Amino acid sequence: MKVRICGLACAATLLAAISSFAPPSAVRAETFQRISGSGSSWAANAIDAMRVNVKQFGITVDFNPNGSTAGRKDYLNGVVDFAASDIPFQFNPEDGSAPENPADGSYAYIPVTAGGTAFMYNLKINGKRVTNLRLSGENVAKIFTGAITMWNDPALQADNPGLTLPARAVVPVVRSDGSGSSAQFTSWMIKTHEPIWNDFCQRSGRAPACGYTSFYPTVQGMIAQQGDLGVTGYVSQNFAEGAIGYVNYSYALGAQFPVVKMLNAAGYYTEPTPEKVAVSLLKAQINTNANDPATYLTQNLDGVYADTDPRNYQLSSYSYLIVPTVVQGQFNLEKGKSLGAFAYYAMCEAQQQSASLGYSPMPVNLVQASFDQIKKIPGVVVENVNIAQCKNPTFSADGTNVLAQNAQAPKSCDKKGTTQCPDGTGGMANVPTAVNPAAQGDPTVTTVASGGGGATGTTVAGGATGTTVAGGSTGGVDPTATVPGGATDATLPSVDGGAQDQTCGDPSGCVAVSPDGAAPPQADVVAAPAVATLIADSSSTGTLGLQLLIVFLTLGMVLGPALAWRYFTGRAI
Amino acid sequence: MTATQMTATQMTATTVLPQSQRDVAPPSARTLYQRGGRGDRFFDALTGTSGLLVLSIMGAVGVFLAVQATPALRKTGFSFLTTSEWQPDRGQFGIAAVLLGTVLIAAVAVAVALPISMGTALFITEVAPRWLRSTLVALIDLMAAVPSVVYGLWGLFLLQGNIIGISRWLNRWFGWLPFFSVEGADPTSPLSSASVYTASTFVAGIVVAMMVMPIQCVVMREVFSQVPPGEREGAYALGSTRWGMIRVVALPFGRGGIIGGAMLGLGRALGETIAVLLIISPRFDLSIHVLEAGGNSVSALIAGRYNESNGFGLSALMAAGLALFAVTLVVNFTASWFIARSRSGASSDA
Amino acid sequence: MTTTSTLSSMSSLASLSDVMPEPTVRSRGAHHLTTLPSMPEPLLVPQQRRVIGKLSRHDLLMMGGAGLSAISTTMLLFGRLTPLSGTFGFVAVAFVLYIVIYAVIASVTESRPTVVDKVMNVLLTSSAVVALFALATVIIFTIARGWQALKQANFYTDDLSSTGPLDPLEQGGISHAIVGTLIITFLSLVFTVPLAVVCAVFLNESKSRAAQLVRTVVTAMTALPSILAGLFVFVVWILVLEFQRSGLAASIAVSIMMLPIIIRSADVVLRLVPGNLREASSALGAPRWRTVWHVVLPTARSGIMTSVILGVARGVGETAPVLLTAGYAAAMNVDALKNPMVNLPLAAFELVRSPQPTQIARGFGAAATLMLLVLVLFSLARILGGRQAGHLSKRQAKRRLVQSCRDLDRMERRITVRGGAAT
Repeated sequence: MKVRICGLACAATLLAAISSFAPPSAVRAETFQRISGSGSSWAANAIDAMRVNVKQFGITVDFNPNGSTAGRKDYLNGVVDFAASDIPFQFNPEDGSAPENPADGSYAYIPVTAGGTAFMYNLKINGKRVTNLRLSGENVAKIFTGAITMWNDPALQADNPGLTLPARAVVPVVRSDGSGSSAQFTSWMIKTHEPIWNDFCQRSGRAPACGYTSFYPTVQGMIAQQGDLGVTGYVSQNFAEGAIGYVNYSYALGAQFPVVKMLNAAGYYTEPTPEKVAVSLLKAQINTNANDPATYLTQNLDGVYADTDPRNYQLSSYSYLIVPTVVQGQFNLEKGKSLGAFAYYAMCEAQQQSASLGYSPMPVNLVQASFDQIKKIPGVVVENVNIAQCKNPTFSADGTNVLAQNAQAPKSCDKKGTTQCPDGTGGMANVPTAVNPAAQGDPTVTTVASGGGGATGTTVAGGATGTTVAGGSTGGVDPTATVPGGATDATLPSVDGGAQDQTCGDPSGCVAVSPDGAAPPQADVVAAPAVATLIADSSSTGTLGLQLLIVFLTLGMVLGPALAWRYFTGRAI
Repeated sequence: MTATQMTATQMTATTVLPQSQRDVAPPSARTLYQRGGRGDRFFDALTGTSGLLVLSIMGAVGVFLAVQATPALRKTGFSFLTTSEWQPDRGQFGIAAVLLGTVLIAAVAVAVALPISMGTALFITEVAPRWLRSTLVALIDLMAAVPSVVYGLWGLFLLQGNIIGISRWLNRWFGWLPFFSVEGADPTSPLSSASVYTASTFVAGIVVAMMVMPIQCVVMREVFSQVPPGEREGAYALGSTRWGMIRVVALPFGRGGIIGGAMLGLGRALGETIAVLLIISPRFDLSIHVLEAGGNSVSALIAGRYNESNGFGLSALMAAGLALFAVTLVVNFTASWFIARSRSGASSDA
Repeated sequence: MTTTSTLSSMSSLASLSDVMPEPTVRSRGAHHLTTLPSMPEPLLVPQQRRVIGKLSRHDLLMMGGAGLSAISTTMLLFGRLTPLSGTFGFVAVAFVLYIVIYAVIASVTESRPTVVDKVMNVLLTSSAVVALFALATVIIFTIARGWQALKQANFYTDDLSSTGPLDPLEQGGISHAIVGTLIITFLSLVFTVPLAVVCAVFLNESKSRAAQLVRTVVTAMTALPSILAGLFVFVVWILVLEFQRSGLAASIAVSIMMLPIIIRSADVVLRLVPGNLREASSALGAPRWRTVWHVVLPTARSGIMTSVILGVARGVGETAPVLLTAGYAAAMNVDALKNPMVNLPLAAFELVRSPQPTQIARGFGAAATLMLLVLVLFSLARILGGRQAGHLSKRQAKRRLVQSCRDLDRMERRITVRGGAAT
């Protein structure tokens, strides 16, 4: 009996403890019901930041970045209150997948953020990480369709006159789940390099359904990972040298990895910084027919692909929230109130943060249109937002996009030709890479790599590092490059045993990868390379025989006395 | 006395049994009926209800899977077992590649785990000193209790980077076997990409082996601890060494347990989801190159694709799940049969 | 004739003639003369007790010598003479060399079966070492990678609702995952344990053929992959019945997965209750339900608790069913009926996929917390269980004794009262 009373008391205290974890009542007088959404991992960094910031108002939002396709399916199944998707509902998919049929008039699209699909890569030349790789669109398409398989392919070398690309295999890393970024990427590829895509479609067994697709087809030699997070995580591993994957620009910034500068129609190589994305998206055509909610505010990016502004980045796009406009499934008016408040915050105050995360803030016309869309959410408390108070970096008094206007033109060394800029990109923008003297040219822009000593930025030769050799020097490299735009955390924890060792600023850390990929034995860091140069190529049979002879002789020396003793004392087996 | 006189006396001395006693049938066993009191009837009703409930829940799961899988199976028919690609929306899907991948992962896992678990079980029962035995048993049970996500994290972050050397070595020296060959990799060149050895069936198999090893070890240890002491002592009395005793007495005695334990581990390895999901890069072609990047397993397929599938896609996933369930069921039942049939297992509860 | 001084020295049995008197020679006739054969001196050498597996000094020296030799040879080969490298290669080559050298050294003085025995001993010991080493690396690696997060107090009290992926480890924590684990596990226990125990009783007490069918089905269902339990709940509960993704859905999925496991182990435990206890209870006139309630269940109590705890430990660590049914939440959720809820394995799974080191540290911290929780449950199972049915611990035996004395007093008092009343 005593035990039973004790057990009941314990259970009661446990339940009380659990319920004490419940969040305290909201600061404001009004309470908001909790809402949940799922979808795009491409936009997830922006949406996560919005979700975090809106908590202070008492609105709790759960967001599951399981991919655009999964988000749309969850929305259609009524499992979530809103979805985030890079592409609209697919009524007539061309890749053989089943059509999505939401009920007419039951949803609305709200463009919530813009950004660029960047190509994050992991490449080292002589042990030092490359940060200024450039690729033309055609080469990108060829890489991701398996047509180019080595980094020192002449086509890639032609794009990078300043680098001596190594003879390493290219490992394209694609999305394994249903992804809006895959859809955008394949859509671009079809519009700009259709023959390359069609050939790939045939080889991968997808034919004849060769339209743009959310499920990227794979062939031998490609690695597929789940989510932008998975792709970023894989490419940033130590063993993934030679890997290149497509992710949202914010992920490369967060992981502190460089991105590819892609050739645009004007002949310049650019990366998708917030300013350049803003410029590029000036050419996007937004559907303005408010009478057809199925297409209202959706985007047509053909103009962006063909844009001849030198600051253009072709793979810029908007991403959307899909919100319900009728009460359905688990969605009710209370949730509509929360969703409306969240959406207002997302379209107004949250846009200030976009640039620091790596996204591009929304232009004023789309913000206005979104406010109108938000009014359609059932249960929303309509706010009369003074747009000028939103502090959106794109807003100006006369309606022009300030961010796009002030976007800097690319340097002349970024123009396609025989010169190449040494400046780093993406998450390693402060880490330049030396270019061959023949390709240095005369850079005119004065943006400086601000890192450690020695990097001045005017002339390339002085700012870049000197020799780049195994166990080599560091020169002007700042190993603790900070994320541009001032992301919040200053001190990352030191992760040991790290598969995430990204920077190569440590002199002793830049040893060439030993043949079997494992760490060299501690005792012999100095001896091993010296000896390795003695017996350099271990694949020839002569050297192999020599090695075996050495092993046998050593063993014989060790075991000889024992065996001899056995023989001479005449022991039987 | 004459003979006839004696006969007459004898004849008048005999007794004749009454008719009824001579012809009655021998008594047969009567059935005992027990009609319990009210308490017993209530008890029977209660336990019967719970049994029925459990049966209906389990049966519902099984029947539900079968019913939901039918549309997909009806669409593909027998080609479900022979098609490799997975595009249910286009009507072309099959588990050939996925099932092969599952079996390969499980095979690698059992191949790696079996020697270690057998060695450990023998060590615990024969070699370890008495004071160490209970600690070791506790540690092995603890290993079985560690959640699979922890092993998955260990495999993804620690093992994957460090196993590249071994994969490269295996590829280099045993690449002539189709099992160990890797396309697109030159193991002798230091510049060849290491990522072709990552996200492979081999790495996933080793991680699953970690999970499977304690299960096998527990079963085998139980079996080896039941070796009849008489036989064991007899071997020692005849002068055999410890290994001789193991080889002659313990291993034959425990044969059923070894096979049963191995198959139980195989059953667990077939169903492992999270570790495979974290490590593998999914591919949908028939390939037995275990060292190469890319692989698949039925449970990882379901976990990865369930969210993006509409009705028909879900039906296809359930058909795949049903196939996996059938395979695991066969393996588990075979394991129990082996264990029960062996001398050692008949009294154990494995 | 000297007889042996003490009986104890009879074990040496030096000579029979020392023990028995010389036969007297009778002069009956030649054919009556019996002479006992005289045994050769010492007949049986004092037997040395044979100890299997004890290491003599010679053995230890051999092992040590072989070890040193192997390590130095490997160091020679690896660093100086050949371009082999890598710690793993070092260990593997050193191990192989150790076995070879040890075998050769042993074969100098020992016979072949002994050498084989020694080598196999080494192999068996090293397989156990490999297994334990793997376990140690798993535990230590998880704790080490998560240490930065684990040592912050806010890790256990905050959730991730106000923390973005770029925020440092001083903010945010996994309290929502801990609470989620507790809630989901508690609900699964509520669903599973009563049903499982009663069903195990049914399997043991019922003689009908239905019990055999249920047992077969339960055994079959232990083979159900956990992802299928999750898929079942996802399709039925969430898609067809249109409930939300919630903690309740996750606990139903976990229950379906746990149920056959707990039933099976409880069944085994109940089967081990000695039959004579049941028969004694029946002989005293107890109906079957009383036998079960008062005899069988208390006897098997520790075993049932062990199987429940082990089933719970298994359910706590399952990710796959929860992945499909509970969604993902970064904020605390104590309501199991609506809104997504995460538990520790799911939180670890999602967090480590991020490329941010802080998120990875948090994910590892969640995994380490989960491991600690499982370890606690597991130790609890071993403390509570581990005793065979019917055997009592000292404290339990003492309590039984006290209870019996009290019963005896009560009965004696009743007899005296009745006896007094009768007179």
